[in-house]
Amino acid sequence: MSEDLRGINDLDRLIHEPARLLIATILSTVSSADFLFLQRETNLTKGNLSAHLSKLEEAGYVKVEKTFKGKLPLTVCKLTAKGQKALAAYRQQMRMFMDKTG
Amino acid sequence: MKDETSQIERRVNRYWYSDGIGELIGGGVFFLLAAYFALQQFLGEQSFVGGLLQAGLILALIGVMYIGRRVVNTLKARITYPRTGYVEYRADARNANLRRVLALLTGMAVAALSVFVANRFNMIDGMVAVTGVLVAIIFMVKQGWISRLGRFFYLSAVSLVSGGILSVSGFPRGYNLGLFYALMGVALALSGGLTLKNYLRENPFPAETGNE
Repeated sequence: MSEDLRGINDLDRLIHEPARLLIATILSTVSSADFLFLQRETNLTKGNLSAHLSKLEEAGYVKVEKTFKGKLPLTVCKLTAKGQKALAAYRQQMRMFMDKTG
Repeated sequence: MKDETSQIERRVNRYWYSDGIGELIGGGVFFLLAAYFALQQFLGEQSFVGGLLQAGLILALIGVMYIGRRVVNTLKARITYPRTGYVEYRADARNANLRRVLALLTGMAVAALSVFVANRFNMIDGMVAVTGVLVAIIFMVKQGWISRLGRFFYLSAVSLVSGGILSVSGFPRGYNLGLFYALMGVALALSGGLTLKNYLRENPFPAETGNE
């Protein structure tokens, strides 16, 4: 196995997980989105989405803000600069791997 | 992977149009424009009020666009966000220079087209025809192409056809433009109304409101 292909082992596993990759990709296309929107777009359960967001937040990839819109609680999520960088690096690594393996 | 990202991006952009609220308010703006041109024609450009109307067009347009945007946001906050979620779109800085050049070229092309039409075909009202083409381009390129929603292509076809037919109708220009904007207002209101009806049917207000 070439050195390039071995690079697959260095993939950011936090981003590599499909649900988190989807969350990060959605957030990368907007300035911010709320929990309900992410839940509908990802088809995840509340608990699942909450758990994945917590992991992304712990890594500093996503910023989660709990606010109120009128009387309604609103959880707004935003991809941080660190998260954007991690997603871009992941995409580049994957593209390189796909190019090498044809 | 790039394709999948583009698909996600398109789906997120399309979300803005999923409730039809923008078209409904856009239809209202078009009705106001219709009333403006008809009133201006009725009063005559030489009259004091007619002159004021003509001078204030740009200011009125900016004001109406600003208020329209506020109304859209307010309605979305009451109707859309509690049902399907809130999204704040990013001001897209990508290809900003290319887009500016394209906008400039489009403006120059439209100006050249209007001069050509006005000089070449005296029997038609070039202003209405050009307005029809311009509005069609906006619907087709800005909304239809970006969101890939078929209804915007129908709206651009309505704009082209009504602009073309009205340009040979022989009505005075103000009434012609007024009628064009009124027709487009009806088309937009219908499109937005039907979209909103479907949206509300598919997304009933959740019993449990708010976010996790």
